[in-house]
Amino acid sequence: MTMEMVLLLILLAATVWTVMTTRLLRAVIGLALTSVILTILMYRFGAPLAGVFELSVCAGLIPVIFVTTVSFTQRLTPEKLVVRKKERMLKFWFLPVLIVLVGMVLTQVHVTIDFPPVSPEALRTDPRAILWNLRHLDLVGQIAVLLAGVFGVVVFFKEDPSCR
Amino acid sequence: MATLLILLPLAIIMVLNLPFKDAFKRAAPFLGGCFYLLQAALVVFHPAAFWDDIYNPLEAFFAFECSTDALSLVLFLSIAIVGFVAVLVGAHALKNPRQRFFLINLLLLATVGMNANVMVTDLFSTYVFLEVTAVASFILIAMMKGEGALEGAFKYIILSVIASVMMLLSLALLVLVTGQTSFEAVRAGLGASPESLFVKMAMILFVCGLFVKGGVVPFHAWVPDVYASAPSFVSVFLAGIVTKVSGVYILMRLLVSVFGFEASVQQVIMFVGALSIVVGALAALAQRDFKRMLAYSSISQVGYIVLALGCGTPLAVAGAAFHLFNHAVFKSLLFVNAQGVEERCGTTHMEMVSGLGSRMPVTGWTSVIALLSTAGVPPLAGFWSKLLIIMALLNASRYGYAAVALFSSVLTLAYFLSMQRRMFFGKPHKGMENIREAGPVIVGVEIILAGITVGAGLLYPLVLEYFILPVQRVVG
Amino acid sequence: MQMPVLWVPIAIPLLAAAALLSVPRRFLFAKEAVSLFAAALNLVAAWTLFGKEAVYAAPWAGLGAEFSLRLYHFSGFIMLAAACFGFFVLVYSVVFMRGKDHARSFFVFFLVSLSLTNGAVLADNLIVLLFFWEGLLLTLFGMIAIGRPQAFRTATKAFIIVGICDLCMMLGIGLAGHLAGTLAISAIRLPLDALGGLAFVLLVIGAISKAGSMPFHSWIPDAAEDAPLPFMAILPASLEKLLGIYFLARISLDMFRLTPASWASPFLMVIGCITIVAAVMMALIQKDYKRLLSYHAISQAGYMILGIGTCLPVGIIGGLFHMINHALYKTCLFLTGGSVERQAGTTNLEGLGGLARKMPATFACFLVAAASISGVPPFNGFFSKEMVYEAALERNFLFYLAAAAGSFFTAASFLKLGHAAFLGPLRQELKSVRETAWPMLLPMLTIAGICVFFGVNNSWPLEHLIRPVLGPLSAAGHGSPGVPGEHMLVIVTAVILLGAFLNHVAGAAMAGSGLKAIDHIYRAPVLSGIYEKAQRKVFDPYVAGMKIAENFAKFSAAVDRKMDVFYDKGIVAAITAAGHRLGRLHTGNYSTYIIWAVAGMLLALVFVAG
Repeated sequence: MTMEMVLLLILLAATVWTVMTTRLLRAVIGLALTSVILTILMYRFGAPLAGVFELSVCAGLIPVIFVTTVSFTQRLTPEKLVVRKKERMLKFWFLPVLIVLVGMVLTQVHVTIDFPPVSPEALRTDPRAILWNLRHLDLVGQIAVLLAGVFGVVVFFKEDPSCR
Repeated sequence: MATLLILLPLAIIMVLNLPFKDAFKRAAPFLGGCFYLLQAALVVFHPAAFWDDIYNPLEAFFAFECSTDALSLVLFLSIAIVGFVAVLVGAHALKNPRQRFFLINLLLLATVGMNANVMVTDLFSTYVFLEVTAVASFILIAMMKGEGALEGAFKYIILSVIASVMMLLSLALLVLVTGQTSFEAVRAGLGASPESLFVKMAMILFVCGLFVKGGVVPFHAWVPDVYASAPSFVSVFLAGIVTKVSGVYILMRLLVSVFGFEASVQQVIMFVGALSIVVGALAALAQRDFKRMLAYSSISQVGYIVLALGCGTPLAVAGAAFHLFNHAVFKSLLFVNAQGVEERCGTTHMEMVSGLGSRMPVTGWTSVIALLSTAGVPPLAGFWSKLLIIMALLNASRYGYAAVALFSSVLTLAYFLSMQRRMFFGKPHKGMENIREAGPVIVGVEIILAGITVGAGLLYPLVLEYFILPVQRVVG
Repeated sequence: MQMPVLWVPIAIPLLAAAALLSVPRRFLFAKEAVSLFAAALNLVAAWTLFGKEAVYAAPWAGLGAEFSLRLYHFSGFIMLAAACFGFFVLVYSVVFMRGKDHARSFFVFFLVSLSLTNGAVLADNLIVLLFFWEGLLLTLFGMIAIGRPQAFRTATKAFIIVGICDLCMMLGIGLAGHLAGTLAISAIRLPLDALGGLAFVLLVIGAISKAGSMPFHSWIPDAAEDAPLPFMAILPASLEKLLGIYFLARISLDMFRLTPASWASPFLMVIGCITIVAAVMMALIQKDYKRLLSYHAISQAGYMILGIGTCLPVGIIGGLFHMINHALYKTCLFLTGGSVERQAGTTNLEGLGGLARKMPATFACFLVAAASISGVPPFNGFFSKEMVYEAALERNFLFYLAAAAGSFFTAASFLKLGHAAFLGPLRQELKSVRETAWPMLLPMLTIAGICVFFGVNNSWPLEHLIRPVLGPLSAAGHGSPGVPGEHMLVIVTAVILLGAFLNHVAGAAMAGSGLKAIDHIYRAPVLSGIYEKAQRKVFDPYVAGMKIAENFAKFSAAVDRKMDVFYDKGIVAAITAAGHRLGRLHTGNYSTYIIWAVAGMLLALVFVAG
């Protein structure tokens, strides 16, 4: 078993824990953990730039915002906690089943490398360069996504002055 | 110059959000409406200077990789029509200027995403702009902060994420095979290994992601919840164009320009399309809420487009494109009718609303036109697109699918007629005797859309020459 | 050769309809004047075009669907007939619809129907034909829906049944076009192999459903009660029969070139025979004037299908002759029904009686038309039926038997209808009934006159209208006009009619102790002897036979209602149940939705990999 496989399994465990835990704070920690493992994976796969971005934003910035939000909430009473746990189990019983199912199907499908390797002239530009450098148009798209996010925050969270 | 269709709405948003006085911000609907009118005019009058790839400083500065063809034009026109309608109806329905302002901004943002999706030539850019449209749509759905709407938006987010996962996975596989993401390079790379199972898997993953976006059975489950809970003017936009561009059009573009029509993928697409037609129509029959019924009808009609697309002949793809345009028009019309009914009666539940035909004649008659066009009755536009689809299926010797497509029209007729009878014919319920016709904006929009449906049917030879044959040439 | 003049019969009624829609509600007389003027103009145009040949083609929908019209003898003849009926029924409707709701909508639908019929008849391209054909579906729906308040349900039912048949036809058209490689009707020649046979059956379904044949008939009796009466006179009784049989003839004669040896011939004949017998049986037990007539409209379509199905020249000529004859007398009968409805206020036979004294002209028209439909010489129905008999007998004795039985029951049920409505004692509440207004009487009298003319002088319509349709085919020598060739058949027919009459006399006598009083006819000195014999059980086996027939009639009516339930409830229930089940699957739980999507993806993956 290679190092990557181990990391991927830990990644899976971290995500499942993130979803299944009943405490918001633990979920945030789980999310951060997921991002950290992802960063390591990216680094090992030779994408340090993406790794750094993932680490700083997804493992650093976002959990801080989440924790701040969580600090404003109240803890559940123990009785409610039990109920909530049961509900969660009912809601996500299928997750392990799904994972097993997907695994079974994927093992049934024998995917072999049945295509010629990428031709040298196609590789003249590094794939990383393709995915990271030559993307003027996507910049516009990212600006638009950011704008949409800002609008979302304003629409949902900013009090309407005229409604008071 | 065509990239202006991406940059212009973005610029409008930027300008609107500069710290000007409120009086300027009140002009947002006007600016938005003007933009959509401009886009429609650009398509209809087709100034060569705008569409041809002439060197200009703007494009030199941004260095975008874009291209347009006849198929893109059909989509640009649909986007312009539905966007214009959504701006008018939304501005009419929202009385709060602040909400109105955000509505226009978000509509324009979604339009940035869709216009870009229509002309990009790169798989990864396709993905990025899909997200732009999707994020803007989430916020649009939940804008009024109703409980149902928030829930609907949440479901849409979750299912969209699943779709994104599928598409990203597929993208990764495709980059592995070809080392590139631009349409041309991927096409060439795939052409080198036509029998590869690996490639087929990548294709089917992408296609499944698009199925989720487009709302095709069994990937459709979010559609009824979202369309029924979102405000009607948002449903106009979503059902009319958002799901069509982000699901169906991209599928069309990928099959035509990148993947080609691979036999087993084709079979999956056709089967899923036929399944959607039947399941959507059957489920629509059982609905008691007008908007929910329209949502299922949408699933069924998308099924027609997908089925024709899967057939893969130039004629079939042209038929699919025409049906997409028709669907954008008549489904918007029906949702505008729903908006009118909701405004006057406070509900769209069919048991609580009746006999509106005499009280709201324009709404009643335009909905008759829309439903007849949906069911494919001449001389309305829907007849021609269905005829094209069925002829194409027959010519490709797909007799079974042709029969399914044809006989589902009966189900379409059945559910629409029962809707029409419950809501518009008969005697008004108690307390509904004094209902008046919807406001002038709604009525105006209804008449415009009904006019387009009738006009495109009657002037079909023109439609054929300027839209369908060019699309056919794009494919053939 | 380009002849844009072919646009005229399509454009005239359409423009008039558009004009009607734009006329303000206040000018009621203008509405009627415009409609009448348009119908008259249409008649003139059809008359002028009749007998000429012309084609018109313009590029239209692409992909082989060019807008091509073709005027030749057959289409000119159908168009002329349609224009005649259009004009007559419109004259009638002007009075009939006066003061009714939706009168303007009625006239608009009426004129649009005329225009669409002309278009469908002239069309020489399958897509053009489909365009006009499906347009008629809309006017059908609209005209039924503006009837009684509860008519919407019937309209929906008609729309669905006819709509499904039209879709079958659409599929057939697509298939035929695909197989033949062309959509031009006059250029299509197809063999009756597996796919060609399928196309044939699908096209035939479209044609005979328009003609109102079984098993696509079940909306017609309901529409008879719910829709405004002139609708029945114009659409199911004349225009739709003309169109349906016209297209059936085009399919079997031009597109597929049926021969008596092909399987399609008995296929059509069996449909025809079943329609004849089953529908007439149901007609026997009807108690409503209009409903009874509507069952006969179904039954008579069987003769036309049988005639064309024989694939013999005499049968085809007979079928087509019967088509025009039927349109004549059935329109006339429906119009008398409308007069009775308007004057007496009801069409329920139990509430009618003795109207002959109050409405003699209407009664006279009824007599002529009823004699025609029953095949009494020398009225027109007699001659066309004789030709169909002759052809049916040549193919197989059983077909002839079915047709002859149909004839017997037709005669019996019209004797009953006439007796119940027009003869017998006058009811107290009908004392003040008066004869109908002359604008309603005039069309009836004219049509009745044509019935007599076509019968007495039958060589004229046969020579000038029907025979040229077949062209060289009719040179085979069968079916000379004038007196029917087979004298034996004539004698059998006479015996059948006499039997029907005696049966009616006997039946009325026996029922006389109950509801219906015996009329003076039955006491007439010549007939009283027979009547007494009937009392002394001379006709006993016959009474038993009638009992069997009655039971069979009840049985087939029950089957008919069951079929109606099947269309109305069975299919709907199954579909609704499926819909509810599907709707219930949407639990609103997004995790379920995720499972569906992922499962769908996995299935697709496995399919592609497998």
